[in-house]
Amino acid sequence: MNTEARKVRWATYAVSVLGGAALWELAGRRANAAVAAPLSATLLRLWEMIETGELSASLGGSLALFVAGFGIALFTALPFGLLLSRARVLRVALSDYILLVNAMPMVALIPFILSIFGLELGAKVLVVFLFCFFPILYNTIEGADSVRPELIEVARSYRSGEWAIWRDVMLPGTFPYAMTGVRQAIGRGLVGVVAAEFFLSASGIGQVLMTSGRNFDTAGLLATVLVITFLGVALMGLGRALENRFTAWRGLSG
Amino acid sequence: MKRISSSTPLIKLAGGVLVLGAWEVVVRLFAPAYVARPTSIVRALPQALSSAGMLAAAGATLRAVVAGLLIAVVSGTLVGLAMGRIKAVDRLLKLYVNGLYAMPMVAILPLITIWFGYSSAARLATVVFAAFFPIAMNASDGARSVPAEYLEVARACRARWTDVWFGITLPSSLPYLLAGLRLAIGRALVGAVVAEFFISIDGLGYFILFQSRTFHHDAAFVAVLLLAGFAVGMDALIGWVTRRHLPWYRTAAA
Repeated sequence: MNTEARKVRWATYAVSVLGGAALWELAGRRANAAVAAPLSATLLRLWEMIETGELSASLGGSLALFVAGFGIALFTALPFGLLLSRARVLRVALSDYILLVNAMPMVALIPFILSIFGLELGAKVLVVFLFCFFPILYNTIEGADSVRPELIEVARSYRSGEWAIWRDVMLPGTFPYAMTGVRQAIGRGLVGVVAAEFFLSASGIGQVLMTSGRNFDTAGLLATVLVITFLGVALMGLGRALENRFTAWRGLSG
Repeated sequence: MKRISSSTPLIKLAGGVLVLGAWEVVVRLFAPAYVARPTSIVRALPQALSSAGMLAAAGATLRAVVAGLLIAVVSGTLVGLAMGRIKAVDRLLKLYVNGLYAMPMVAILPLITIWFGYSSAARLATVVFAAFFPIAMNASDGARSVPAEYLEVARACRARWTDVWFGITLPSSLPYLLAGLRLAIGRALVGAVVAEFFISIDGLGYFILFQSRTFHHDAAFVAVLLLAGFAVGMDALIGWVTRRHLPWYRTAAA
């Protein structure tokens, strides 16, 4: 029974993939070549991009940008958030403003960055950094708010030192929330990478998208979108795995 | 603890003064004169808010965001309910919905300009694309979470499928839908702004781009504040509706 159900499930997934592929192929063949390309042409173009090294070069550039911006954000937002988690007055003072900035569409700042910093590489890293920084900070603070003050009081009355309070109360309490922030930051950071490559100096995968769009190389455009989609799914999966690992440990769900 | 909570508004105010003061000082000391700082933004505020260009831009962006959200809510809810209620539909669409949700939506812009031209239809399409997937995903999660007893009672009473879908499933998945809508609002605003950057049509995004290119950073920043206001305002509206009409749901699952 169970294996039967599993077979049915995989069969429907197979139908889903094959059906989508067939639909894409048919629609691509019927449409004007400048508007859409069939799946076969897209995959051929993708293979060509892999063989010429075009794809790995641009993907590498984009990933480097992502790692730089995300890394700096992680190593600044996390300590800052943890600092705020112990400094209660400072947290109360700043949390509303952090919430506001986190809700703001960060893309709107790109023109300012362009006009102040020009087309340097640092400007793009700054964009990705800004996209990633606030979700991590915001969620870490949220985690700190969720730590019950009684726990700290109990720890204190058992004469726990500052280090012990961190190790036993603050870190376990805030870390799962921080990981939710990391997951959000991964998603936003990817948007930041493509936006920075579009609107600041063109490079990486964003530049490939731009030029193939401008040249009506629709197969190349669709191939690149396909690659970015897989990249997004992979990174999102990584973020979700990280989050689940730590929320499971905390016994939190949802 | 008590002492802090009684002086909370004062602490928050002090935090705001601290943030704005730091911004003012850093920009005065290190940045060129055209860079926006709090005092110069306040000075630019009356003129910017009363200028016809800014109001028209704000209206255009807001209309596109609201229209796109409406389309995404209706279509996303229907698709999500179908995915949540019918297993085959879920398996057929899941890969695509998850994949396109994880894809950074900026990457679709070149394709959208090929399909919709450099027009406001392209902006609307971007907004719908950005908002559709979080709503569909949350609606299907919500539809799956309907308590089984409700459905058993409905079946026992020989309810019509329309009643099961729209009388039982839809209302009980409302908290999920609202959580999806919250995600969608943020993404829709980003989508609208990014589309305006990319295709240069009238709206707050283009206003920001144009003003900051001509070094009117203060006026441009007023537009950023308006965008942030939209984001926070719509979020607050949803929170209010939830508390008012669905008081038994405390905070919806994110």
